[in-house]
Amino acid sequence: MHNNRYTIIFTTLITMVLAFVLSSVYSSLEEITEANVQADIKKNILTSLGFQPSEEIPWSKENVEAIFNESVESFVIDDLGNVIPDKFPEDIDPKLNANFFPLYRKVIDGTIEGYAIPISGKGLWGTMYGYFSIEPDGATAKGITFYKHIETPGLGAEVDKPWFQQNYVGKKFVDGSGNLIGIQAIKGKVDNSSTESYHQVDGISGATMTSKGLNNFLLKDLRTYNSYFEQVRRENKG
Amino acid sequence: MPLLSKQSKNTIVDPLMANNPIGLQVLGICSALAVTLRIDTAVVMTLAVIAVLCISNTVISILRSMIPAKVRIIVQLSIIASMVILTDLILQAYMYDISKELTVFVSLIITNCIIMGRAEAFAMQNGPWKSFLDGLGNGMGYGLILIAVAFFRELLGSGTIYGFQVIPDSFYAAGYENMGLMTLSPGAFIILGLIVWAQRIIGKVEPE
Repeated sequence: MHNNRYTIIFTTLITMVLAFVLSSVYSSLEEITEANVQADIKKNILTSLGFQPSEEIPWSKENVEAIFNESVESFVIDDLGNVIPDKFPEDIDPKLNANFFPLYRKVIDGTIEGYAIPISGKGLWGTMYGYFSIEPDGATAKGITFYKHIETPGLGAEVDKPWFQQNYVGKKFVDGSGNLIGIQAIKGKVDNSSTESYHQVDGISGATMTSKGLNNFLLKDLRTYNSYFEQVRRENKG
Repeated sequence: MPLLSKQSKNTIVDPLMANNPIGLQVLGICSALAVTLRIDTAVVMTLAVIAVLCISNTVISILRSMIPAKVRIIVQLSIIASMVILTDLILQAYMYDISKELTVFVSLIITNCIIMGRAEAFAMQNGPWKSFLDGLGNGMGYGLILIAVAFFRELLGSGTIYGFQVIPDSFYAAGYENMGLMTLSPGAFIILGLIVWAQRIIGKVEPE
């Protein structure tokens, strides 16, 4: 039988050894992990902007980096829609800079082909994270993707699936007089003859809460960026 | 001399069928239900569990006479937890996409009863080599069921095996539909139940 003194020394030692092993592994792998996270973010931005991996160019870390650097401009805007010079999305900490927002722009041969904004908010079980991309006109959805959520597989998790995401493409999130109205995932199928169908997509049956949450936070995030996209829309008209 | 003595061989082979941790002891079914949507996640999960089981069993076995009996559970747990975090860190660095899909279930290996159970029931009484083999055997036994469940869920739920489509497009054109139930947890329960049933019939296990 070991005495108390031994027990205390033993537990202290083993804790120290384990902590040392863990922290050294963590710090030696930190860089690789961080690179993975960054590449994953870029991959999601690219997907929402309509880039697709192909047989010849699979989405390896290097390819994602290269495509991103070549065709995507990233910058930061404030809540009034002004671009903040010399600031990049990597520099801002959402907790510290509540009024700075990252924005990504797809530019091919000098022409703007779309914008992507991060979206996030509560689904049924937890926060969902994704990107929403917008056509150069500043009023039409170009795509939507999710990279992190914990919605029910087969129900709410269908937000991940192409059939659901495809429905957003081409929908308008502003009405005829320029008011921001968002895009609503409705119950059941969209009636294409309805005058409201331009801002509606088919909901996911059995996942009302997920759809509702998505509708709310998409509108909230679009509102955040609205002053910027109002300018875009104005420039497009003029 | 054979590589493994007969006894060592039994230590590995036993948990595969006759004393399978999931099928007969019904341990660790939480993760078995959660990560069996597709075969590749099940395979990675299996490898993670095997790694953790082997290392923690070996380490605990080496330390077994030094671990004070009063605090043995907490010491075992801290060793297991460290191994799990280690595995998780390695997965995040080298298999990021899969680690994203396994999410919390890698960390939840800590609470997998198989690992704690083997540490307490085997590694505390046996030498490092035997404990290592015991970890290997139990890990494989766990993985066998995991992959079997994942095989049926992926085949019936998504029409693929290891990511390759096996149900021809003409079947879908003819009105065949993937079984949505299989992609949900109840599907895993049903498959697992059937496997446990089959295993008990083959193994001629007396009802308790």
